[in-house]
Amino acid sequence: MKVTLFATCLVDMFQSNVGKATVELLERLGCEIIFPESQVCCGQPAYNSGYVRESKEAMKRMIRTFQNAEYVVSPSGSCVAMFKEYPHIFKEDHEWGLLAQQLAEKTYELTQFIVDVLHIEDVGAQLNGKATYHTSCHMTRLLGVKSAPMILLNNVKGLEYTELPGKEQCCGFGGTFSVKMAQISEQMVDEKVTHVEETGADYLIGADAGCMMNIGGRIDRTGKPIKVMHIAEVLNSR
Amino acid sequence: MKGTIQNREKFLNQISARLGHNDISNSIPQRSWKYHPQDEVLTDTSPDQLVEVLKTQCLKIHTSLLSANLDNLAATLDKIVTDYGGGPVVTWKDQRFSEWGLDRLMKDAWPKENIEVHEWDYTQGAENIRYAEKANIGITISEITLAESGTVVLLSDKDKGRTVSFLPACFIALIPKSSIVPRITQAARIIRQKHLDGHRVASCINFITGPSNSADIELDLVVGVHGPVKATYIIIDDI
Amino acid sequence: MTMKIGTGDFKERVDQGIHDSFMRGAVAGAQERMGTRRNDAAEELGNWEDWRSHGEEIRQHVLEHLDYYLQQLSENIASRGGHVFFAQTGEEANQYIQDVVKRKNAKKVVKAKSMVTEEIALNDCLKQAGCEVIETDLGEYILQVDDHDPPSHIVVPALHKNKEQIRDVFAERLGYQKTSKPEELAGHARLKLREEFLSADIGITGCNFAVAETGSFSLVTNEGNADLVTALPKTQITVMGMERLVPTFEELEVLVSLLTRSAVGQKLTSYITVLTGPREEFDVDGPEEFHLVIVDNGRSQILGGEFQSILQCIRCAACINTCPVYRHVGGHSYGSIYSGPIGAVLSPLLGGYEDYKELPYASTLCGACTDVCPVKIPLHQLLHKHRQNIVENTGQAPISEKLAMKAFGLGAASPSLYKLGSKIAPAAMNPFTQGDKIKKGPGPLKAWTEIRDFPAPNKERFRDWYKNRDKGGNQ
Repeated sequence: MKVTLFATCLVDMFQSNVGKATVELLERLGCEIIFPESQVCCGQPAYNSGYVRESKEAMKRMIRTFQNAEYVVSPSGSCVAMFKEYPHIFKEDHEWGLLAQQLAEKTYELTQFIVDVLHIEDVGAQLNGKATYHTSCHMTRLLGVKSAPMILLNNVKGLEYTELPGKEQCCGFGGTFSVKMAQISEQMVDEKVTHVEETGADYLIGADAGCMMNIGGRIDRTGKPIKVMHIAEVLNSR
Repeated sequence: MKGTIQNREKFLNQISARLGHNDISNSIPQRSWKYHPQDEVLTDTSPDQLVEVLKTQCLKIHTSLLSANLDNLAATLDKIVTDYGGGPVVTWKDQRFSEWGLDRLMKDAWPKENIEVHEWDYTQGAENIRYAEKANIGITISEITLAESGTVVLLSDKDKGRTVSFLPACFIALIPKSSIVPRITQAARIIRQKHLDGHRVASCINFITGPSNSADIELDLVVGVHGPVKATYIIIDDI
Repeated sequence: MTMKIGTGDFKERVDQGIHDSFMRGAVAGAQERMGTRRNDAAEELGNWEDWRSHGEEIRQHVLEHLDYYLQQLSENIASRGGHVFFAQTGEEANQYIQDVVKRKNAKKVVKAKSMVTEEIALNDCLKQAGCEVIETDLGEYILQVDDHDPPSHIVVPALHKNKEQIRDVFAERLGYQKTSKPEELAGHARLKLREEFLSADIGITGCNFAVAETGSFSLVTNEGNADLVTALPKTQITVMGMERLVPTFEELEVLVSLLTRSAVGQKLTSYITVLTGPREEFDVDGPEEFHLVIVDNGRSQILGGEFQSILQCIRCAACINTCPVYRHVGGHSYGSIYSGPIGAVLSPLLGGYEDYKELPYASTLCGACTDVCPVKIPLHQLLHKHRQNIVENTGQAPISEKLAMKAFGLGAASPSLYKLGSKIAPAAMNPFTQGDKIKKGPGPLKAWTEIRDFPAPNKERFRDWYKNRDKGGNQ
């Protein structure tokens, strides 16, 4: 199966390990990976800040980049949710609206793709230790992907899972919110980190680079002995 | 007597314009709903099952629920009144008290025991409210009873003062078993149908669910704020 | 602007909120309890999503035919002997009510909790007319006794106060001598307010939903105060936001069911009272004279526009009870009587961007509010629309942000610029980098790195790795 990878800009620039793990994992599951060089950012930072006009250029670029893909897969629920938003954003524009619709329909978040399209629930991963999982808001609420990550994590050998208290609560990232409303964001991420600590987990697993940079950045700053891992890295552990 | 309407035209014209209606006559609505979730709640439930639903709900709303038949209704009511500390008692003026054999208790036995009873009498005007304000117990009859929520529905009229159910410290509602319906859905339909049939809607319809309460202080529940502090329902087997 | 509360700018208010540890504990506790109760009440029904969809279709239908239903409502109220006044502005509403008060020579008014009367600052206007105004909802009463402390939550107005504070206020102002137990405090209020109900000249209420077909309106409470406000005084005035109505009793029932479950997790609250006109001939209690004041106050400008769905709101506060931002900053931070997500959408519409331009940004767009809204208002999308408006139409966005976003537009749209930018990023960030972390970043990163580390850009980007790997250079 041919899979076109939408790596996301955060992964490309800051978390290349997540990209590597995604490629290796999907290849192991029998996929052939295509990575179009012309991909940029999905436009979300500008769009969510209200700069709709500015963000549309990036969106058009992405629509063109992935136009001929069979499946588009990305290790980020939030960015996939943004692709799903494209048809709504271009609804006044017949031509782009149609292309946006096509892109939205063939785009999947990584775990969703593995469970719903590849029909694989056990990827044969192993990771020893206690873990908890952060359910990102955009991935669960906007994209509606709730069960796939849990199904896959439950089948990781050696992983002892504890549910995160207050798991449905936002971590305080929110893109530019994290710097625009830094003071509030701090309170939110602190509460999240406290909850992570309460689980006694060695690993905090997530499926969204933004949330992980936020929670992970706070964990690092406060010197907590918790390792933050993207779910692609976990599923690629053997 | 008809009331007045002021400032309407300009106000509604503005709304029509915003909605893109040329005028209001373009706006006659057709109500047709895609969803009917209320029809799925407790609709396949027998009268006895509804009584059970009501009993379970009463546990959650700080309300005692008793059952009686016409033979032991008077004794049951007498006991609650005694348990609540006796009178004064204020009641609606309602033929049904008599039909249910409560005359001897209300008009004879209680006065003899020095339990003061005031039956609502509109000819006495505001005097009734003073009685209700002094009363320890108010007794009313539920016209429609909602099993799901544990709610009694009271309809006001000249013989059925509103304040009988709010001012006394204790509230007793007599519930004919035949008045029990699944939920507020059925009550709303009954009330609407009466209106469509040309009856006047009561000036005050009260849906009362247990005693008054508040969680305004640190979200701690306090039972008994402005209205009654205690409530009892008696289901009368009239089916 | 009369719905405005508090002083200072948004940042100062947030700072105050964040440092109010009692308030934050209370709000967090309330969110957990109310959230659990709401969830349980919703799940118990088994078909909650259908309920929400039904609530939404009813509210949308009413808004689409608002002119018709308001006409029908007013006709039916008048035919039952009630008086209807349509008020375009808060001032017009207040003036009308003041005139009634003067005509009745009223000295004392008892009120049941109403957000719209807060919005138009009715109490101030009544006091100017020489009237004593007594709020009778326990929470509102507490705030009133405490020198009119503003409400911080639309359902539990005194949520930010603890019982010791309330006891002290009661002791100082009311000569209260008992403990801080809620039942004793409430008992004292009951006693005090009983006298007020019995001696008041006028009762004023808000309106949860009016029923157009019968000319009725409903009040939803747990305390029973609205019943006393409407049963005892000789004159009753009800103030409603113009959108708060339903076609018939059948829709009333649905919205009341959604309201009580979403607001407090109850199947129904203790008192749901539906009133039609003044008292009937020979009735002993209930008002002799009834006035309904229907208030626009900026709502018609929302109608027919991109924010119309906010008028679907039934004021249940479910969005407030789930919002992670409200959780940490509390109601007063919003600077408006309408707080939380509903407040962040509504306050700029009713009060203008000048005063409320920060509110749409006080959200991570996490969507929790949209998820719980019983009438399916897309709250987080409306917050986004506000941001777009602020950027495109008001000129209120900061210049530095505009430039950054312009650069983003160029960079993100052009693969070569993007590639260049991301390639030089590690070098550009080098002075700020320690190991693989940035601990003190420049520009917009400064706010981030004040509290968190930021990852240093990878020297080998993912795309470089992928390219090399294709060439067989890296595996």
